[in-house]
Amino acid sequence: MKKFLALLLMTVMLSGIFAGCKAKEEKTATLRVAALSSGYEATKAGMWKEVCDAFTKETGIKVELTLEKNLEDVISASMQGGDFPDVVLLATGREAGLTEQFIRDKNLTDLSDVLSMTIPGESKKVKDKLAGGFTDSVATNPYGDGKTYLMPMFYSPCGLFYNKGLFEQKGWEVPKTWDEMWALGDKAKKEGIYLFTYPTTGYFDAFFYALMYSVGGADFFDKATHYEKDIWDSDKGKLCLDIVAKLATYTNPKTPAQANDQDFTKNQLLVMQNEALFMPNGTWIVGEMQDAKAAEGFKWGMTALPSVKAGGSQYSYTWIEQIWVPKGAENIKDAKKFVSYMYSDKACEIFASRNAIQPVLNVSDKLNEENKLFYSIYDNGAKAAMGNFAAYKSVAGLGSINEVFFDPINSLVSGKLTKEKWIEDIKKANVIMRENLIKE
Amino acid sequence: MNAVKRKNLFVLLCVAPATALFFIFMLYPTFSVFRMSFFERGAYSNKESYVAFENFKVLLFDERFIRAAQNTIFLIVAVTVFTMSLALLFAFFLTRDRVFGGNFFRVVFYIPNILSVVVISGVFSAIYDAENGLLNSFLSVFGKKITVLWKGEDTVIYSLIIALVWQAVGYYMVMYMASMSAVPKSMYESASLDGASRFSEFFNITLPLIWTNLRTTLTFFIISTINMAFLFVKAMTSGGPNGASEVVLSFMYNQKDDGLYGYSMAAGVLIFIFSFLLSFAVNRVTKRRVLQF
Repeated sequence: MKKFLALLLMTVMLSGIFAGCKAKEEKTATLRVAALSSGYEATKAGMWKEVCDAFTKETGIKVELTLEKNLEDVISASMQGGDFPDVVLLATGREAGLTEQFIRDKNLTDLSDVLSMTIPGESKKVKDKLAGGFTDSVATNPYGDGKTYLMPMFYSPCGLFYNKGLFEQKGWEVPKTWDEMWALGDKAKKEGIYLFTYPTTGYFDAFFYALMYSVGGADFFDKATHYEKDIWDSDKGKLCLDIVAKLATYTNPKTPAQANDQDFTKNQLLVMQNEALFMPNGTWIVGEMQDAKAAEGFKWGMTALPSVKAGGSQYSYTWIEQIWVPKGAENIKDAKKFVSYMYSDKACEIFASRNAIQPVLNVSDKLNEENKLFYSIYDNGAKAAMGNFAAYKSVAGLGSINEVFFDPINSLVSGKLTKEKWIEDIKKANVIMRENLIKE
Repeated sequence: MNAVKRKNLFVLLCVAPATALFFIFMLYPTFSVFRMSFFERGAYSNKESYVAFENFKVLLFDERFIRAAQNTIFLIVAVTVFTMSLALLFAFFLTRDRVFGGNFFRVVFYIPNILSVVVISGVFSAIYDAENGLLNSFLSVFGKKITVLWKGEDTVIYSLIIALVWQAVGYYMVMYMASMSAVPKSMYESASLDGASRFSEFFNITLPLIWTNLRTTLTFFIISTINMAFLFVKAMTSGGPNGASEVVLSFMYNQKDDGLYGYSMAAGVLIFIFSFLLSFAVNRVTKRRVLQF
């Protein structure tokens, strides 16, 4: 009897060991994908699940998907312990700045060869499907060495959003230059409407990038985003900051008090309820505010940034969400395969069904009516602005780009900070940022 | 093995798990915080370089940190003073006088404490709204329309204080009510025979007799305010506008996001030392002879 019991226990133990083995084997064969659950997912859930399933069906590689709204909070703890997902979809420019940290630490896998990979299940290569210009900027090649570390996943034009219905009602023209803008601001003020508002100061990044382009073109943008010496003392630099500071005086005074993560939709409402004319935003605003109560006759409109001179170029910033592979990922080969699959017809179709638009050729056929209007901004004369501030090594006490450039705008609006002090702080930071610029 | 040795071994084995856990989850992380404050490293890479006291040197002159520290100290002082006095006052009236609906008030005051901070921030977002907010609408009843920006740069810190006090009063009120009801009625009766007023009843009988309780809760409260302030700031204001409502813990948290792990830990060390000294000071200052009844 005793022998029998011992034998039984032994079997249980051994099977336990083998069970452990099996689980481990499975783990190495599974691709771990972490994606941000953003507004697209909110429209109709299941987008990422469908894409992952389609990938598994095509390649036989199992995918373990982590899909969270607060992705940074969910994955950062295990990453600090050295356990990285294989593929991450998370854009730069988020408040937690997780992607920026990976760029700064040079913790990304070089994805340049993905461009010449054949898309699983298709005969085309990735670079044959990608629209031109999307893998040329700092947004995808952070070190300016021609190597692509982040692949462009979704893009969306950003610009100034306004109530089209109100403009038609009042017979106002959408301003094409900043001079017309100020004139409109004075006119609207008489009717009790402020010219400008912003959801939070974070929305100024896309605005400011487009502004830099419209003031000085790609050349000035490049210099300014690489913190060139005395750039903010140059005429173009001064003009950029002057426009922002002047805009602050035209901003609805309620804005700063509501410019936080809790109340930012109230600022967006200001535009919908005719308390402010323009705000910087992206195409997701339509879905985000679909249940909000708007003024009568309200219709969304979007325009590129006004030009500096009459007849000058108007710019609209192209916001790109990136997908990338951490250097510490276990399964880099399959991860690259997964990234290349993102540009397959099947995946594009699934993404487009949630209005998540990828920079692939002929994507415009897949757009719905409203989005066609927004995405056609570049066909109607506006130029695309792309890129962002170059990565610099974090310096204690310096503050982030947002803290140095854009957060103080809250104080400019409320009058607690002078323009001179703001510019002086930017100049000081510019020096330190240049000294700590990350170069390959 | 004799009996004594065996007993010792048994005790040792009993205590070992708890001690091990304490070392792993309390002492080691605390030690790590101190160690990391002397290094500079990103959050997701293990490259680190020793910088000695550099983090602390920069921290003490960092305008953002100084502002956050000022805000924190102001919050601790104001919130503690208001919460404690209101809680004591309410508790005194609810236990001493048979207030009509006393139990009802007890429940109502306690409710904020069981709400999560996210819910509270939602409630206060509606209260503080500039246009249709509860507070501005209420103030406008008495005359012309008032549109105070409660979350604006000048007022945001006071708005935080109100929310923090509102949230904590009920809990401490219930604590004090419990200890006040333990004070024998006979003392109040004899005092009133001697012609003592409500005022002197409170200061000469109630307060001294619940002092031990008050002292403990005070230390708890001050430490918890440092933590609660962080939660409220995160949920209500994101530290804005332009850092006007930043507190030390949210400052520390943001530094981590900027990839300055060591710097963030240096702030953590200062907060640790500050809280430690503060509780020590409070404990010392409030020390009295324990009264029996």
